Amino acid sequence: MNVNFNNRDPVYLQIIRYFKEKIAVGELAPGEEIPSRRELANKLKVNPNTAQRAYKEMEEQGLIYTEKNHPSKITTDIKVLGKVRNELLDEAVDMFVTSVRSINVPVEELLDLVRVKYSANDDKEA
Amino acid sequence: MIEVKAVEKNYGSKKILKGVSFTANKGEITCLIGINGVGKTTILNAIMALTPINSGQILIGGEPIDKHTFEKITFIPDAITMLPHMTIAEAMEFMNDFYTGWNQRRATELLGFFRLNPSDKISSLSKGNTAKVNLLLGLALDVDYVLMDEPFSGIDMFSREEIANVFTSHLIENRGVILTTHEIGDIEHLIDKVVLLDDGMVTKEFNAEEVRETEGKSVIDVMREVYQR
Repeated sequence: MNVNFNNRDPVYLQIIRYFKEKIAVGELAPGEEIPSRRELANKLKVNPNTAQRAYKEMEEQGLIYTEKNHPSKITTDIKVLGKVRNELLDEAVDMFVTSVRSINVPVEELLDLVRVKYSANDDKEA
Repeated sequence: MIEVKAVEKNYGSKKILKGVSFTANKGEITCLIGINGVGKTTILNAIMALTPINSGQILIGGEPIDKHTFEKITFIPDAITMLPHMTIAEAMEFMNDFYTGWNQRRATELLGFFRLNPSDKISSLSKGNTAKVNLLLGLALDVDYVLMDEPFSGIDMFSREEIANVFTSHLIENRGVILTTHEIGDIEHLIDKVVLLDDGMVTKEFNAEEVRETEGKSVIDVMREVYQR
């Protein structure tokens, strides 16, 4: 577990995002146990109160659940899990659109470029 | 909670603290930040009643300081106060003789955590390891509050990381910590609360996570605003 936190966004939100990313790509499976708050704070080198806050927030969002005297687990609720992926995707595309809009490119040209770059990246990884 | 209320302190005609007020909660890490000579160490000394104050009040858990307070609070100064010819084991024995709250189990755990050898003489240790022993002697006490004066100054980055790791572990959990520093860099994510000092006064007191959330600023951003006016 290694996260590079930036200093300007609330750390607890960055932790939640980290979990969402892991859930979206399937690295954290539904029902999988997650570290205790203290373990997480230690692994990510953050304040234990911040880890606590991140977990509380994730519990409220239904991303994780805790049964009495058991470690917290990733939710098995398909609806919530699906939402996580969409949310991340939405966010990333929004960011891309905002930054690309300032260059004023016709959308077709843009999509072609995206297609080329995207598959080029796939080739590199493969 | 430690409450520092309108504390003033003069050394001769020189005013060091000009009405300092802030609070530090149990279970939180509070960081006093300011350049050298701003009065950080004097504040810690005043909390420990190591130096008399000219006016103001300091409460620990709602009570003024008395001799029993020293079983509830400990001070880790920036230089080790043990005699140099002592071994680490002897220093631990010394602490055990003086404090009812000495917790040998935790001390042993800290020895392992910092990879220190108890038969080493304190005078033979590197600067980083001396700082770790110093920290060990303070943290092994069962106290509610720990004051640390410049725990990171003059220490190599790996030792600094090891010391920072203590802050995310159960060794600190549920205790109130006040630490002073002039470089915040590697501990930004570890601290709950920041108290900025300038010229013997508190210029700003804020919660690090709150400022990130409501203003989108890092601790360093806020420092820049406060100090570069």
